Amino acid sequence: MTHLLPLFLYTGAFILWVRCLVRGSQGRGPLAASILTAAGLLAHAVALAHFWLQYGELPLVGFGAALSSLAFVGALALTVMLPLREMSRVAIALLPFIIALQGIAVLLGVEPTPLALDFEGAGFVLHVSLAFLGYQGLAVAFAAGVLYLIQHHELKAKRLGRFFHFIPPLATLDRLARIGLWAGFACLTLALAFGWAWTVENRGSLAMGDPKVVWAILSWLVFVGILGARVGGGRNDYRGALAAVIGFGGVICSYLVLRLTVGGDGLFL
Amino acid sequence: MSLAVVGVSHHTAPVEVRERMVFGPSEAANALITLREEAEVEEAVLLSTCNRTEVYLFPNRDDRPIRSWETLLERKAGRLDQTLGDYLFERRGDRVVRHLFQVSAGLDSMVTGEAEIQGQVRDAYERATALPVDPPMAGPVLNRLFQMALSVGGQVRSETAIGHGRVSVASVAVELARKIFGSLRGKRVVILGAGQTGELIVQALSREGVKGVTVVNRTYERAVELARQVHGHAVEMERLSEALASADIILSSTAAPHPVVTRPTFEAAFPRGLHRPLLIIDIALPRDVAPDLGDESEVFLYNVDDLRKIVDEQLQMREGSIPAADRIIRAQSDEFRAWYASLEVVPVIRRMRGRADELRHAELERLLRGMDHLTEGDRGRVEEFSRRLMNKLLHDPTVRLRKGMDRGGGADLVDAVRFLYGLEEGELPPLDGEG
Repeated sequence: MTHLLPLFLYTGAFILWVRCLVRGSQGRGPLAASILTAAGLLAHAVALAHFWLQYGELPLVGFGAALSSLAFVGALALTVMLPLREMSRVAIALLPFIIALQGIAVLLGVEPTPLALDFEGAGFVLHVSLAFLGYQGLAVAFAAGVLYLIQHHELKAKRLGRFFHFIPPLATLDRLARIGLWAGFACLTLALAFGWAWTVENRGSLAMGDPKVVWAILSWLVFVGILGARVGGGRNDYRGALAAVIGFGGVICSYLVLRLTVGGDGLFL
Repeated sequence: MSLAVVGVSHHTAPVEVRERMVFGPSEAANALITLREEAEVEEAVLLSTCNRTEVYLFPNRDDRPIRSWETLLERKAGRLDQTLGDYLFERRGDRVVRHLFQVSAGLDSMVTGEAEIQGQVRDAYERATALPVDPPMAGPVLNRLFQMALSVGGQVRSETAIGHGRVSVASVAVELARKIFGSLRGKRVVILGAGQTGELIVQALSREGVKGVTVVNRTYERAVELARQVHGHAVEMERLSEALASADIILSSTAAPHPVVTRPTFEAAFPRGLHRPLLIIDIALPRDVAPDLGDESEVFLYNVDDLRKIVDEQLQMREGSIPAADRIIRAQSDEFRAWYASLEVVPVIRRMRGRADELRHAELERLLRGMDHLTEGDRGRVEEFSRRLMNKLLHDPTVRLRKGMDRGGGADLVDAVRFLYGLEEGELPPLDGEG
């Protein structure tokens, strides 16, 4: 039940953002949506803290628990952006992802895994937290990229409608995508380095057959690809936005393909 | 009538007439004082802009304030082609409230949703408030009315799209630039040609902080002249590609009979391709910029037809918000009316009880006159009975009237009580009744 409340609040916030877009309101609408998002984050923090107190472990392993924590990191990143008036509007593209993660987590049940872990302690917490930050950095770049492409389309179509007025300027979205990508890339790289160091030290190999490892490396390569598209052949904001959207889609698809075909150990993949 | 507004506006008078009736700040103050002295106006606010000159009056006893205001207007306008009455409009009672709320929200403006009027309404109200007269010129009723009007204006603008979008070519250009670059501070502008609209756009962009304005013109002397006006620098037409290479915004308005910025010129300016957004505003006819340059992913090319179409769409979008704005105005008008009625409820209750007590006294006296045999104690008991009966009969109407006020539907109730108990002459004049 505690994990349902943030889900409702995020959904409510998303509905309010959509209402702002449709009604073109500039006044209290965005403020109400921002407050609801922040309330969702607070409720989410309480829910995760409750998990910690109840089970004596951080909600980082177990499929539902991990997804809920990933959603929390996304909501945290979004809440940081809320005071920045124009950037806050990226919520309309980021909240569906957060809602989907939390929704799946609630459906599957936010519970710890019964499996015993050999990688644990502070190193493990750092590894998982950095990986979550990395993926949410990519999600932020994706959300900014989607809005960039829509705004670009509106400008090209010479149509100054609801989307034009609601969506932030191209330069703002590009800056946000850049921050998300570089921060996400740095975090994921560190997360992989931690995981790699532990695996090599404790298992003597890189465990390349593990779907989690395969997916993490694929994700890292996607990051490299997106960053390459942004800076290679001269900076191109449009190409960068397109690459972020396609790259994020690629990461999600590869996750689903790996989960459905290879399957995982139930910890995260 | 109690509350009235009388004046001229762009709906009723052409600019030749309106411009003769514009009151500057000190003239407006003098006019209000004259109205107080000549017509004993209790409350008045004078709103004078280029689109309207109108005075709000409360209470408008015997139409004297209106006649006095018309005399003032006649004096101010001087000789007119038609009689003053042909240009005047007049609203009374509730319609005054709606009118002011519509004015403040920009619904009555020449360009729907324009924001300037809100500040002008505030200035008019503050000017009346600041007048050193006793009682104040913006007394309790107009004070409340104008404060609500300002709040309604803000609410309508924030909750509807009435003020969205830009409705001039220059402001659309600035809006486009903002949506591409975010802040325009430090952005570089290249102007081709020296048209008047181009100058207006550059001025609008300069206010947003663009820097490095470069003027390119076939006649170098004319380029130097315009560059001086916009604090930029001039460049010969031969160095066009060089100038374009550093531009974020290109503004083109030459009188050339053929395109000036062609594909070869563009490729010479950006030999390795364009890797950043470039806004091109081409307001020349025939067009200065080759249309196919708009196919480049980072080029945002707008010609004069595109800009006009955008302006039209923006106006349509604003007009589409009128029903939503009207709903807010209607609700707030009702709220004002309820507030006004709440001012009346206490006097009405007092008068209702007073009238009942008068009747009780009269009937009691008539009854006791023929009953001399009653002792003092019995007389007291009869009087007590009559008082209790009156109180019981009036208790429910009094409580229900107060409850009705709290629910916001009290104005009609007050009117009904006035009618039923014959209390038409209240202490406060009804909003749209005789003062």
